[in-house]
Amino acid sequence: MFDYIISYYNYWMYAGLMMIGFYGMMAKRNLIKKIIGMNVFQSSIIFFYISSSVKRGGVTVPIIKHVAGAHGSHGVDVMQYANPLPHVLMLTAIVVMVATLGVALAVAILIYRRYHTLEEDEIILCMRKG
Amino acid sequence: MILPFDLILVLFVYICAVAALTTRDLLSAVMILGAYSYFMCLLWTEMAAVDVAFTEASVSAGIGTILCIGAISKTKRRSND
Amino acid sequence: MKFLSLITVLLVGVALVYGTLGMPRWGDPNSPAATHVSPYYLEHSMHDTATPNVVTSVLADYRGYDTLGETSVIFTAGMSCILLLRKRRKHKEEDHV
Repeated sequence: MFDYIISYYNYWMYAGLMMIGFYGMMAKRNLIKKIIGMNVFQSSIIFFYISSSVKRGGVTVPIIKHVAGAHGSHGVDVMQYANPLPHVLMLTAIVVMVATLGVALAVAILIYRRYHTLEEDEIILCMRKG
Repeated sequence: MILPFDLILVLFVYICAVAALTTRDLLSAVMILGAYSYFMCLLWTEMAAVDVAFTEASVSAGIGTILCIGAISKTKRRSND
Repeated sequence: MKFLSLITVLLVGVALVYGTLGMPRWGDPNSPAATHVSPYYLEHSMHDTATPNVVTSVLADYRGYDTLGETSVIFTAGMSCILLLRKRRKHKEEDHV
């Protein structure tokens, strides 16, 4: 049972973070709070991908230290290094996350200029009045 | 990957996420979000993803916090929930 | 409203935890994510691109078009921010209804 929990708890961690972000996106009425919830949500997905690149048993960062022979598998022991492919994909995802944050904040500033509030229910009241 | 260190960092990440979503002052919520990004960065250094940790510390915790502070200075600081 | 969203979030969480039951164990060196193409990158990166850092060589060399698409996304986001936030002088009456 303890072994089972050790092998699977990272998935439960990312599920919990995703639930926190999702609740923030749906239940909070302030627009900045919704954007913060979106940030937590995206971070949880990046956490899931990065945790799928971990290998147990003395792995190091994916930087090749020394190459002994230049033939065959080029002298690299694959089991010593972490999986580099999720790192590359998540580098792209982090930068896209900040771009999404910038556009969302720009739209929030526009909404504030027009309705002079950031609360969702007051914005809906203003829209119904005119 | 060290198990107790991992568990402590994940606990801090959870505390920062919940605190950023429940604080009524938006400026402190954004600051707590920056702390959340730094704990995520430590977590990824511990998972042997150093390039992702660099990018997180510079882009998400730096530029993201600056963008949020700029947006809050253009709008209101108080929040109702 | 809060109760309804709490119910939805709990349902999503239960579905996610149910979905993780078929995932490989954490840190398994023979998991599907670590067996197909990433050993090729680790073994051939030094020979192909002469870069010790495998993440950099994959980001800029093997998957350069991915990075090009990311750069175009950043450019689009910056342009849309500028277009959204510029001051419009002529149509000032329409802005403040």
